[in-house]
Amino acid sequence: MVAHPLAGHLSVEESAELIRQYRYAEERMMRVMGGWIALTPELSAKLLLGRHVWDCAQHADLWGKRLPELRAPAHVSAPASEAFVRLMDLLESQEGFHQTPERLAGIYEVLKPHLLAAYQDHLAHTNPVYEPPTRRILERIVEEERRHIAAGRVVLSHLITTPAVEARTGEWRRRLEGLLLESGGVSGKPTGDLRGPDVPVDPTAIAQDLARLERPVGRWPVPAELEASVEAHALHLKRRDLQALEDDFAPAYRQAGMATYAPLLAFELATHRIVGLGKLGGHRLVKLRLEGPAGTAVVQLRWAETDGRWRVLEAEVVRTEAAAASS
Amino acid sequence: MDRPIAYDKLAREDRFIRMRARRVSEIRLEQGLSPFPDLSNQESIKERVHGILVGELQAMEGAGRTVYDFPEAPWEFTMDMARQVWDESRHVEIYVRLLEHLGGYVGEFPETTILWRCACAEDAAARVAGVNRGLEGLACDVFNQLIHIARKIGDPILEQAVDFVLADEITHVRMGSRWLNELTKDDPERRRKAVEFQEAIDERFNLGGIRREGDHEEVPISIATEARKLAGFTDEEIARLIKATQRSPVY
Repeated sequence: MVAHPLAGHLSVEESAELIRQYRYAEERMMRVMGGWIALTPELSAKLLLGRHVWDCAQHADLWGKRLPELRAPAHVSAPASEAFVRLMDLLESQEGFHQTPERLAGIYEVLKPHLLAAYQDHLAHTNPVYEPPTRRILERIVEEERRHIAAGRVVLSHLITTPAVEARTGEWRRRLEGLLLESGGVSGKPTGDLRGPDVPVDPTAIAQDLARLERPVGRWPVPAELEASVEAHALHLKRRDLQALEDDFAPAYRQAGMATYAPLLAFELATHRIVGLGKLGGHRLVKLRLEGPAGTAVVQLRWAETDGRWRVLEAEVVRTEAAAASS
Repeated sequence: MDRPIAYDKLAREDRFIRMRARRVSEIRLEQGLSPFPDLSNQESIKERVHGILVGELQAMEGAGRTVYDFPEAPWEFTMDMARQVWDESRHVEIYVRLLEHLGGYVGEFPETTILWRCACAEDAAARVAGVNRGLEGLACDVFNQLIHIARKIGDPILEQAVDFVLADEITHVRMGSRWLNELTKDDPERRRKAVEFQEAIDERFNLGGIRREGDHEEVPISIATEARKLAGFTDEEIARLIKATQRSPVY
């Protein structure tokens, strides 16, 4: 039997209720992504979140403005269930320095794919005669969510650099998916697959969402004499050669420099590499990453050429991590 | 997440080299350099562009935090801040590309975090006063000068890209002007504190007398009077800023 062209799926009140639920998800997601930007070290991920915060804000705004057209107060968000709030709370909780993959997986592999599925399902059931205002919003958001998901996955796969990170991220995704299932999703009334089908997106369409991905620096532009001094210094640190280390520092900074290193000297450091190189007038700022069985230390050194050799004028331990933290 | 987060939680890749602003100035002075890049040569322009790049990055992070930290603020305020996040994310990309255009790379110069510290103010009105009006107002002055330099050295890429960023910055200052008024309209004490915060930032960023009233050729950073008027600064506010630059302490 052919459905009547004016047959509807949702009442006006039910539409408004669903839209408040969508708005809750979009608004909360937008605020969380905004808050995460400062906590996310990788530039590609920061910029991805930065671009999508505005799109999600517009989605929430579109939904909020649609509400008065459905006899409901404007700009009201309402979650479908306490379980969905718990899902969002859990998703938000990953704020650590090394948890960018978890953050991106939560948004781009769980929440956005679910919203996309929900929006597509809603779009398929809207009435084309009297619901075009809702349809137009859904069409726009569906297109943008598809783009976001594709861009997010590009950055996420770039940041999954080891099997350990991949396993950790997969475990996190499955935990969120479990909670999503339990909650019944954004509407609390699941209508099939909560994640929806994977739809390929034209790579050129996501160019606007992506800044360039970080590339490993092959070789830092370190002056040759400085490079030799940095290598020697790292070796002295690894060997805990106190006499040679002291000699690497400028005389006026020896005591302070050795005091800075004291906590590092208790640990075995096996490898090192330069991870940053800056300039401050004639001085050079070198960041060294040192790794050992117990963990990692990142030190920042200010070098100056005095009396024909490079010496350290200032040292700072900028970060230390136990071995498990960054894997 | 905490609301707000501690300022030392600001996350960076290892290639960024972070230092206190005061220490950077001291080290430059110890080497007989001006406390800030004076744009007198290509290296100095590159250093200034790098400084702007990290400023844009912190502005994006700060606006993102404002979106998160103030869920009870008016919705239109959140929309303005979310729009600013997007704008700043584009500015970061623009300045990364300009830095490369000038032969530089991300992390080539130290990053100071004054902007970020201002963006951690606990009151939304103080944030928009300090960041949108104080620091983005400074950005109008600095970008105006950079456009002038770009024109002078014949670099249309630099000139055009920075001019588009300047247009956005004027919009951000305008947002700051609007929300400073709206958020404090029934609370004169809150307004007074927010304005004081902005003025303290203005004073600090007069850069030891480097920012002054006058022609680009006569002063190191000229106060962008026209851009500021477009952004909602009153004549009285501009006059007060000019007066403050005449008594600003050395940074």
